[in-house]
Amino acid sequence: MLMPLLERPRLRTAGLWLLPLVFLALMLLAPLLRLSREAGAGASAAMLLSLWQDDYLRWRVLWSFLQAALTCIAALFWGLPVAWVLARYDFAGRLLVLRLLMLPFVVPTLVAAMGVLALWGPRGVLSGWLGLDLEDTPYLLLYGNLFFNLCLVVRAGVDALGQVSASRVAAARTLGATPWRVFWRVEWPAILPWLASAVCLVFLYCFSGFGLALILGGQKYATVEVEIYTLVAHELKLAQAGALALCMLLLTGTVALVYAAMERRLATPARTDVIARRRPAGVWQWACVAAALAVLVFFCALPLLAILARALGAGRGAWAALVDAETIHAVWNTLRFTAVALLLATALGMAHAFAARRSVVLRAAAFLPFVVSPVTVAFGLLLLYPQWSASMLLLVCAYALLAYPFVAKSLGAALDSQPEHLLQAARTLGSSPWRGFLRVTLPLVAPSLRRGMAFAAATALGEFAVTLFLSRPEWATLTTLIYERLGRPGATNRDSAMVLASVLMLLALLVFLLIENPPSGADARGRTTARKELAHA
Amino acid sequence: MLELRGIHKTFQDNAGGRWLLADGLDLTVAAGETVAVLGPSGSGKSTLLKIIAGLEVQDAGSVRFDRADLSGVPPELRGFALMFQDFALFPHLDVLDNVAFGLVEQRIPKGEARERARQMLSVFGLAAHAGSRVWKLSGGEQQRVALARALITAPRLLLLDEPFSALDAELRASLRQEFVQRITDAGIAAVLVTHDEAEARVMAQRGLRLLAGRLQLVWHHLHGDTP
Repeated sequence: MLMPLLERPRLRTAGLWLLPLVFLALMLLAPLLRLSREAGAGASAAMLLSLWQDDYLRWRVLWSFLQAALTCIAALFWGLPVAWVLARYDFAGRLLVLRLLMLPFVVPTLVAAMGVLALWGPRGVLSGWLGLDLEDTPYLLLYGNLFFNLCLVVRAGVDALGQVSASRVAAARTLGATPWRVFWRVEWPAILPWLASAVCLVFLYCFSGFGLALILGGQKYATVEVEIYTLVAHELKLAQAGALALCMLLLTGTVALVYAAMERRLATPARTDVIARRRPAGVWQWACVAAALAVLVFFCALPLLAILARALGAGRGAWAALVDAETIHAVWNTLRFTAVALLLATALGMAHAFAARRSVVLRAAAFLPFVVSPVTVAFGLLLLYPQWSASMLLLVCAYALLAYPFVAKSLGAALDSQPEHLLQAARTLGSSPWRGFLRVTLPLVAPSLRRGMAFAAATALGEFAVTLFLSRPEWATLTTLIYERLGRPGATNRDSAMVLASVLMLLALLVFLLIENPPSGADARGRTTARKELAHA
Repeated sequence: MLELRGIHKTFQDNAGGRWLLADGLDLTVAAGETVAVLGPSGSGKSTLLKIIAGLEVQDAGSVRFDRADLSGVPPELRGFALMFQDFALFPHLDVLDNVAFGLVEQRIPKGEARERARQMLSVFGLAAHAGSRVWKLSGGEQQRVALARALITAPRLLLLDEPFSALDAELRASLRQEFVQRITDAGIAAVLVTHDEAEARVMAQRGLRLLAGRLQLVWHHLHGDTP
């Protein structure tokens, strides 16, 4: 079916454009419009004013803003020195550390929340040991935010520091600047745009995050997203929830615009005069490396290790949860929803990436599902398609909506870096457009496609917010099952939630590794070779 | 015989400016003849090759080969081979599969295609590199692989886009002679695009300069002249 389409340029172009655009219109834009109508019908300026005059809701909005801002500051404070060490020093295991920095991106939000609880919650590994009680404090949520976002800042920092011109640094040194002055006067201005862009992303993730705030925020420190969920699911105050969702959308939209503007400026060719990494020399430099690794372990590895520790230490009753019918059914649901969503996300992402080569607007549109929070998406879908609110198609499409931008962005970047003349060479050697796509384009972009699919799969696997809104009891996934177990009284239920969280964590890792590094044939060449190929191309 | 008649082509750059690349351009290349098109960067030489190859469409005019009009004929059905400035070897394939690429596209069974590619590599002195990745080869070796890949399908016309510009001077000089010999042996017509007149004089019987969208004769070695 696809082949004749690819052989006819006009049909091909129209098909590529239509698929993602229609999907975005039906699954994102129309629900948002419906949401604004709901908010507008019940309210207007008076409603917004009353929201603001309500002490409780005002605190929710302010706290949402504050926790996102505090996370940005903390992520920069801890992340920048770590990034500098990883960018400037060469030591055994550095590449592994850089690779492990991807880990939080594939860990489901709910697993991260469980990790924080396992570490700092009641009977937590560290809180119990230190005698601390962090329940009903803001620290649990801030720590959870850092688990996800510290790695983002570190990666952005490492990339940015790799762009600093070696000759400019050398010039500054010969002009009398100390290393510290060189950092402030040469390196810092050069990396600032990258860091600002990363901070925008951190802000967006924290401001519109749901899972962490729901589990870790408690009564006092939950965010607006949790409030919207409560208003819709428990109090049925749709107009008020709509008004809140609209406010959130305006704020996240503004930040996203700033981010998009910065991203455009960052699209510069890679430098050739990069600063060479050096092996740490002396106690002070090795101490810096050790401190950087300790920061990463503290914020990013300990929660995951704590889940495993708590799961391993759980009693037989908790482990029995693994084999009960409810769990097996939830695992089955998780896997089949993920598989279908991944197929859909791959088709959409590929169409979007190929169509976006010719359109700046479409390129920006791939970012839309990142801007709108899952809670807002789910709420809008509920309002727009009430008759399908318990439809599996809608649920899977919502999964695909959240997952496919990963495929589109990863593939889009690979297509941008692929020279046009390779395909032209294939055409002059007798390949039709379809054969050229199969024999040249696809093998070259395959590593990036797989990476995008891996992130998409991890997103679908750990999806929580949309599932809470749109799922039916018989469609419980691992995330909703964990949440449900967490809400049940008793230590055994809490422990079984830990066991299930560790299963979900391992499942996410397995899916990620399988897709990104398939174990056979030509595909198993590994990322190093793939990177070399693209570099050569 | 290749015939271009009244080719018009304008090009729009990213800033919105329009450039005239061909303005009623005519060109005839006889069977077995090598013609060089000279001109500075940006004069439209590469675009002219792409028009002949079918990768670009002219605004007006016709491209004919052996009297058959090639308008609307896609590149894969023209039977021409184009060699790119940076070789355009496929980085995901090894040397053997790069050379066999065109044969596989002609639906020749993979085993036979590879065998013929192996023979071609032997002729080019590259048999030892059959299983190598293309980026591991030197510039000159990559250039030879590109020519082997182009010639193995027995194209009706060879299009060469600055084929030696990525190489150093010494290698360029030695490869020129080798290319002339191999193209002559293959007995096919060729259009060479270059900004290097010395190179063009060694390789081509006729030299034309692309100026203001038209071709002007620079030299023509008469029969018996040695280029």
